[in-house]
Amino acid sequence: MLRHGERIRRYAFTIVGVAIGVAGLVALGAMSERIVRFIDGGDRFVLGQISVAGRGMGMGTGFTAGGLLSAASIRAVAAVPGVAGVQAQVMLPLNPSVSQFMTLTQELILGLDLSVPMSNRSFPSLPVQAGRPLRDGDRQVAVLGASFAASRGLRVGDTLPLDGQRFTIVGVLERTLTAPDRFAIVPIADARSLWVAKDPLLRMALASGGLALTASDLNTGAAVGWRDGEDPDAVALRIRERVADVNVQIPSELSRLLRSSTAFFAALIVGIAVLGLVIGGLSLANTVTAAVFERIRDFGVKRALGATDVQLGREILGEAVVVTLTGGALGIALALALGGSVQLYVARLGQQLFLFSPRLLAGALVFSVLLGAVAATYATVRIVRVSPAEAIRRGA
Amino acid sequence: MLLAEGIWKSFRAPSGAMIPVLRGVDLRVGRGELAVIAGASGSGKSTLLNVLGLLEDAEAGDVMYGGRAVGGLSRSAKSRARGQFVGFVFQSFLLLPALTAIENVVLAARYVGQGGPAARRRADGLLEEFGLSDRRDHYPAQLSGGEQQRVAFCRAVFNDPPVLLADEPTGNLDDANGRVILEALRRRVAEGRAVVVVTHRPEALAGTGSIYQLQEGIVRREGV
Repeated sequence: MLRHGERIRRYAFTIVGVAIGVAGLVALGAMSERIVRFIDGGDRFVLGQISVAGRGMGMGTGFTAGGLLSAASIRAVAAVPGVAGVQAQVMLPLNPSVSQFMTLTQELILGLDLSVPMSNRSFPSLPVQAGRPLRDGDRQVAVLGASFAASRGLRVGDTLPLDGQRFTIVGVLERTLTAPDRFAIVPIADARSLWVAKDPLLRMALASGGLALTASDLNTGAAVGWRDGEDPDAVALRIRERVADVNVQIPSELSRLLRSSTAFFAALIVGIAVLGLVIGGLSLANTVTAAVFERIRDFGVKRALGATDVQLGREILGEAVVVTLTGGALGIALALALGGSVQLYVARLGQQLFLFSPRLLAGALVFSVLLGAVAATYATVRIVRVSPAEAIRRGA
Repeated sequence: MLLAEGIWKSFRAPSGAMIPVLRGVDLRVGRGELAVIAGASGSGKSTLLNVLGLLEDAEAGDVMYGGRAVGGLSRSAKSRARGQFVGFVFQSFLLLPALTAIENVVLAARYVGQGGPAARRRADGLLEEFGLSDRRDHYPAQLSGGEQQRVAFCRAVFNDPPVLLADEPTGNLDDANGRVILEALRRRVAEGRAVVVVTHRPEALAGTGSIYQLQEGIVRREGV
């Protein structure tokens, strides 16, 4: 009965109010989603492989932190029952300064032995958004994580200088919102060369001839895969028992460790989510309820004309759904626009602040409609308890 | 048609004391009868009309339509009774601002299970009868006071209710528009409907029906 255009004009303020509430909810939710993805990505990675390093402390960092892992140790690990494959790795900090070690988002150089397949079950290959992945036999080439590339404005075909060496960028990874976003991935032979260049002590030891080392012994760690049907924790414990002088990370232990070290972020997610629900939800519910109460006189007149509680409730609910759906969609668009603007700025720093996932957008829309319906029902119940005469008087 | 017996109604004063407005009001209005209720401002005329129209509850007494007591019905049953038995004309018109003239008129049909093209045709006919054909798609804000009251009258009689309750129907109108509304009220009476009009100017309807004075919460018949 009410023309659509007229309805929109009439409800413009309500729709804008709902949109602001939903925009706040979506923006805070998108920040929360971003953190969730970061933590979950790390968890999936460490649970997807058994990480092994040499015993002691060495140049390695991240999940391969430890001493030198020799080629003999790698062969010994590969021989342990239940092990499907071992990929030697060299993981180095891009900038080995104290301040960099203190950060949570350290940039890393990851050297991979490409003669064997990736051993990580969660990431059997790293998704490439431009260019190509590394191949066995590559030298002086690199595949960059999305944030690493974006923060430096690097693209496929550009050159990346690393410790005096020049690497041609052959690929850029899709954004994973977790650790690999900050990696520069190179062939393991190049990573070994960078390691020697970075570490004067290692250089000295090699030059002295006192160590019986070949290039294949220069590994900071290895990713170990397990055979189908094997319990990864059991395989890790078996490696620990059977291979001497290695640090073995038990996947479930590492996951727990990661979870406890990111407990602050987990609490932050809950805080942001609660804040988003409270701010966005209260704003939305208040707007819808106020909009219904504002028309109390109209509802008094309708009841004078014979509208029953159910008829009135159905009418108000229908309007609330249309208004909250429209306001919700507008709020999502607003959050996307504002988030996009902020993202343009932070992308230059190689950061991503928001993750507007489909589940977040759909959830926000459903939440706004449900909350709008609840608010409208509450307002209707309050209104029908007032006599029609009183409703007309109050709205006068 | 309309019978009210022993209606009591009080309001709470800011001090908390209960102030009786209606003190055992009795009223009977039959088919084709007009009851004009006069009284000073604040005497309780509108309150009486609201109780008669089931827009608010009495503390004691009952209202009957067609011999059926409706005062004790549930909220929804009262709503249905209003839609079935009563049409209202308010002093301030009370048209819904977001609806056009014809939509306001048809609104009366929505809650009694009517509607559709037939309802719009009937609404068109009523608007034409009141000289509002060219105003059918105007919003209340685009209509004069007289036009709004005529639209409100069309809405009140749309379902052809047996009882029409009018609260100061000419109170906000100029003489010419006031005459149109009074004439329409007389027509309803002539058509055999029961009409109750609350006004502080009963002389305008003198000779048409019974005149009652509401004074100190009691209704007394004054004449015709």
